[in-house]
Amino acid sequence: MNASKFIVAAVAMSISVTALGAGGHEDGQAAKNGEPAKASEADRTITVEMHDNYYEPEVIDVKQGETVRFVVENKGSLVHEFNIGTPAMHEAHQEEMEMMVEHGVIQGGKLNHDMMEMDMGNGHSMKHDDPNSVLLEPGQSKEIVWTFSEKGNLEFACNVPGHYQAGMYGDMNFN
Amino acid sequence: MKARLLAGALSMLLPVVGLAGEYDLTVDRIKIDTGDFVKEGIGYNGKSPGPELRFKEGEEVTINVTNNLDEMTSIHWHGLILPFEQDGVPGISFPGIQPGETFTYNFPVVQAGTYWFHSHSGFQEPDGAFGAIVIEPEGREPFRYDRDYVVQLTDKHPHAGDRIMRNLKTTPDYYNRQQQTVGEFFSEVSEQGFMNTVKDRLAWGDMRMMKADVEDVQGFTGMINGKGPKQNWTGVFKPGERIRLRFINSSAMTYFDVRIPGLDMTVVQADGNNVQPVNVDEFRIGVAETYDVIVRPQDAQAYTIFAESMGRSGFARATLAPEEGMQAPVPPMRDPARLTMADMAGMPGMDHGGMDHSTMSDMDHSSMAGMDSSSMPGMDHGDMMENEGEVSAPFYAKGSGIAPTAANGGKFLSYADLKAQKPLYEDREPTREIELRLTGNMERYTWSINGVKYEDADPIRLQYGERVRFKFVNETMMTHPMHLHGMWSILDVGAGEWNPIKHTVSVQPGTTLYMETEVDAPGQWAFHCHLSYHAAAGMFRKVIVEGGPETSQPSTDAATDLGGDA
Repeated sequence: MNASKFIVAAVAMSISVTALGAGGHEDGQAAKNGEPAKASEADRTITVEMHDNYYEPEVIDVKQGETVRFVVENKGSLVHEFNIGTPAMHEAHQEEMEMMVEHGVIQGGKLNHDMMEMDMGNGHSMKHDDPNSVLLEPGQSKEIVWTFSEKGNLEFACNVPGHYQAGMYGDMNFN
Repeated sequence: MKARLLAGALSMLLPVVGLAGEYDLTVDRIKIDTGDFVKEGIGYNGKSPGPELRFKEGEEVTINVTNNLDEMTSIHWHGLILPFEQDGVPGISFPGIQPGETFTYNFPVVQAGTYWFHSHSGFQEPDGAFGAIVIEPEGREPFRYDRDYVVQLTDKHPHAGDRIMRNLKTTPDYYNRQQQTVGEFFSEVSEQGFMNTVKDRLAWGDMRMMKADVEDVQGFTGMINGKGPKQNWTGVFKPGERIRLRFINSSAMTYFDVRIPGLDMTVVQADGNNVQPVNVDEFRIGVAETYDVIVRPQDAQAYTIFAESMGRSGFARATLAPEEGMQAPVPPMRDPARLTMADMAGMPGMDHGGMDHSTMSDMDHSSMAGMDSSSMPGMDHGDMMENEGEVSAPFYAKGSGIAPTAANGGKFLSYADLKAQKPLYEDREPTREIELRLTGNMERYTWSINGVKYEDADPIRLQYGERVRFKFVNETMMTHPMHLHGMWSILDVGAGEWNPIKHTVSVQPGTTLYMETEVDAPGQWAFHCHLSYHAAAGMFRKVIVEGGPETSQPSTDAATDLGGDA
């Protein structure tokens, strides 16, 4: 029973991860709104601090067409994510994150890296390596370089279960 | 009197200057209108619930309580960490407040969150003597909201508390309206066979209780913020707003299952302490517990806050809506919960007449074999068996008849989901374990700890600086919300350093639950089941903390005979 449940979950997981990786995830907004870029192409750098459970700043102003280097620091004591997407993308991603919690990949203030690397079949894993997102343990810092090619309803958000709903998100305001 | 009330109201409106606030409360006889009936009751500043006390963390509060009753009163600040003389339990913290007297409480507010206050004298609390406490934190909260509402639940009964206690003492099933009927007997016979049904009934009779003993005081009207279901308390919102709902269960006896059809809830706080946010569809709130949830209604429509009692004998209802007067459908109550043999597993003498648990499960399996499992959820005795495929709820007996499920099939909050947002204490090994068996005899309506009721019991002595692990073994068929005053209850949910801290922990029938307490508050404290009539019947202890920085130990135990008031 347990084993078959796990396999079902694993399959569901790999399907959604595949979808995200392919960029065909939901309505393709991500592709329309922006894309990853190289640090050397960045017009400016914005430092984003992640606390338990909120961001500083909580609103970020961006211009259409600009490339921003986000330096994301986890200053909290829990695992947090910084993810650029539409509200609908975040909602979809939250289901995947829920699964990561259920499988013990995210445990309060720790990430289980072995579990993330584990082969779930068909070469899929619970690696969290999408270019629009970083998932950080307390004290960690990582960068995202993102080109905002088109205006859209974009938020930066933490999709660790419950965090978005508690208010850990902010608007990307296009000027 | 008018002037005093006005002064009280004004002082509540004034901003806190220099982080010292003065508050006035009068304890008054009042009329309570539930929409179903009007009764005499007790309130604060002329109403029940009393005024919402809004404090700020770090504030030094002065609260003048004037007793306008013709009997002694008291106020206990439920969940607040304070010097024991300020804790408001007659006979343990202080002598009580005599008729006509004004007693002044004074203590620093050292915490934040949602709490409540209530009388700790006689049955004044079930009679209406309670209110809400909201404490704003010094720093920012780990969540965001645009507005907040207290949602304070109670189970208002047409009878006064002392009358209920008398009736329970003489006829323990006086208020048990859901006893199984002859019709139910015959429908069970047709489903389970005559012998099995008779055996089951004999087993229950042998244990001096009934399957329907989920709630021993039925016949109440559920109320939210002083309004019955027909009076429909309404909280207004603008679509898109984030609303923090501060649920407080101020019931005498009733657990509620709470949901808001159409809205997801994110639990962010339990018993005043922040928890790592968890998204749920429904949660069960024990007597004296609090849960803070965040909801975000996007549409300009009304939503029903629906709180069914655990045994489904009554409900409370309120509304969230863009404007007053709008309402959403009120769902019907689900079928009454029935205790199963699993809920009785902790009872001594379970094997009387060969009706031990293993016999029961054999019987169930054979009698249920071949039944379509899809037809089972509606069958109360279907819960008697635990198939391999069934999910058992943590913190409930395996196969329990009262383990909750969400009405929409979604997520029901479990204690296992509660993780501290920021642990208050460093995790360490407990210095010792104290076993407390929760005991009772339903036939005589006696409730006790380790078989000894309060008036016959020695106090529990703790040493300042130790970390005690309490082992609760519930040998009764009722859920007991155990409340330790003055010190936090670190509930063992298996999360180690992330175990949540609470002031009230529910121990389900037939289960063992552990909590740990950092003994960091000198003095003497109450420790009891928060079901009003269980506490009064003796499921109550005095805890004495010996040692500590303040050498001023309580000078006398003389007032013990006044104690035991819930």
